[in-house]
Amino acid sequence: MNRRTARTAFRRLTVALLTAGALMGGAGACGGRATTHHRPGTSHEQAVGSVGRLLAADDGSGHRLRQVDAEGAPGLTVAVRPDSEDGWNVHLSVRNFRFTPDSVGGAALPGRGHALLLLDGHPLARLYGPWYHLPGSLVRGAGGGRTLTARLYADDHTAWAVHSTPIQTTTRLTTTPSVGTPAEPRPDRTLEIVISRGKVDPAPGRIEIKKGQRIELRVRTDHADTLHVHGYDREARLRAGRTTTVTLTADRTGLFEVETHESALLLTQLVVR
Amino acid sequence: MNVLAHGIGSQHDLPLSPFYAFAGAFAALFVSFLALGLLWSASRFRGDRAGRPIPVALERLADARPTRMVARVLGLAAALFVLLHLLLGPNGPEHNPAAGSVYVLLWVGLVPASLLLGPVWRLLNPLRTLHLVVCRALGRDPAAGRPLPVHLGLWPAAAGLLAFTWLELVSPDPASSTALLLFLVLHGVVHLTGAARHGARWFDHADAFEVYSGLLARMSPLGRRPADRRLVLRSPFNGLDAVPQTPGLVATVCVVLGSTAYDGFSDAPSWITTVQTSPLGRTTAATLGLFVAVAVVATLYALCAGAARLISGQLSHPLTAFAHSLVPIALGYLVAHYFTLFVTEGPHTVMVALGTDNPAPPEPPLAPGGIATLQVAAIVIGHVLGVVAAHDRSVRLFPPARAVAGQLPLLALMVAYTIGGLTLLLA
Repeated sequence: MNRRTARTAFRRLTVALLTAGALMGGAGACGGRATTHHRPGTSHEQAVGSVGRLLAADDGSGHRLRQVDAEGAPGLTVAVRPDSEDGWNVHLSVRNFRFTPDSVGGAALPGRGHALLLLDGHPLARLYGPWYHLPGSLVRGAGGGRTLTARLYADDHTAWAVHSTPIQTTTRLTTTPSVGTPAEPRPDRTLEIVISRGKVDPAPGRIEIKKGQRIELRVRTDHADTLHVHGYDREARLRAGRTTTVTLTADRTGLFEVETHESALLLTQLVVR
Repeated sequence: MNVLAHGIGSQHDLPLSPFYAFAGAFAALFVSFLALGLLWSASRFRGDRAGRPIPVALERLADARPTRMVARVLGLAAALFVLLHLLLGPNGPEHNPAAGSVYVLLWVGLVPASLLLGPVWRLLNPLRTLHLVVCRALGRDPAAGRPLPVHLGLWPAAAGLLAFTWLELVSPDPASSTALLLFLVLHGVVHLTGAARHGARWFDHADAFEVYSGLLARMSPLGRRPADRRLVLRSPFNGLDAVPQTPGLVATVCVVLGSTAYDGFSDAPSWITTVQTSPLGRTTAATLGLFVAVAVVATLYALCAGAARLISGQLSHPLTAFAHSLVPIALGYLVAHYFTLFVTEGPHTVMVALGTDNPAPPEPPLAPGGIATLQVAAIVIGHVLGVVAAHDRSVRLFPPARAVAGQLPLLALMVAYTIGGLTLLLA
């Protein structure tokens, strides 16, 4: 028996005998907030390189365009596929271009840099590689959107451009994440649950579904918590004020409880026949 | 914290479809009235004398010192295993086999074990063994001690059962090591003190698990005949007939029935909503629910026993006279509620005990229809056995002219319990 287990054992016994929950008080304090800072060469200042021609026009958010010849200019295509769990998988196919996350913030070099994803024209995320998982929550957090644009930037955050237009491609975010592909059929049942001040609305009830059907649970809560679907052992983090969607296929029969862990509230019961 | 009724298990049985419930209720009513008209008019069951002795060699083997020793050592080893896991093991039933061992292997497992082999917990009870060992070491007679108060009967066991079911069904975190350890330490201290004062007979009256196992063992084909202490094979009716009419017997049976009933309705979303929105707080509300369930079961029984006394005109102990006939009904409830738990969480606990961390619980062996049939069958068969046992007792106790009328209140009670039990399965 090592010292730690011995101490745990002793503590449990003490607690059991005295039921003194106060003894269990943990060390809740933690260090100060981590400050963000830029490593050398990764600042957001525009370094001006001698590649191409810097235009007066900008990309709409203050970054000037850097025009290069059409011949040998970088190019890209974008493919967006809904993910089976959440959001979309975004794949950029680039030509005449390399992702250079190490030198971001440095001077512009031909055919190097990063990409920016824009949702309906508003910047959403910076990409340092061809693959990106776009979480559904990010899109919802940005207020939703229909089109996804990928645009190429140089290391100094100027936008690569040809013929005075940024090098970019746009595709439609046509489908919601859980709908559309054969692997993710539309849920047969959807249940929206709102938790506020420890009250569950609608009041906990039972949802009858047939074995094999899909159910989508959309849970909105005013407290950060963890959602747990028993039996299927699905857990999801609930963030305060956000709606979390959990979709599952009812492949086991029985009566299963859907509950939150911190507040220990029963949300609903799934009756799978 | 867990809102599950059991500290253990991630799955409940499906609610019964009304078809099964109606079929069960109809069968129960039909059998009841058939029993009134067709059953015998002179008592047949003789619990103290009935039974066919088992071969002497088998009886010697069962009574041999080594057999008893092995059982005691097993019980002690299991207790040590659970205690060490509670003290040193991780929290949570998917990592620690202790909670499953207590709630599933012991509490639910005692039902089939007692039904097959008789009052097994008497042999395995680690507290009894501990008391025996200490007495031997001190050179005392384990049986020596002050006599128990006459009116004590099984009351301490009834209280212990209520405490245990409270821990399992109501307490905020039944599967936590701390809660279980607190209960087990208290249980051990109370009963070792009692045994030190009153001798080993204390366990027969006060140890909740021994009394529970002993009552269920009355339905076992294997039993000890009171007249000559021989091991006999006997019908469950004769076993039931031999249940001693001790004070507290009714309370014990009512706690088993009431707590199982509470377990049934505590799954219903309406009850969970009541509990989780109650201004009294969850634990208080759930505690009230458990106590009310036991009180309702007991009050119904007391009313019917009183009515039986009024109709028959003579009955010295109306309460205890028919308490034995509730045992099969309680058994039906137990089977209906805990079969799935036992066959899924039992192997799950064994897997955790053998070292698998967080194994997937096995699928229930029966399809939903099969489980529903089993549940209804358990409740209806329990009802039928109870009706027959009560009938036999009433033709013995009541004057012949009033025998049929005298058992009407009990019959009504049993029909109420059975329909109540089926309704709980619907919920």
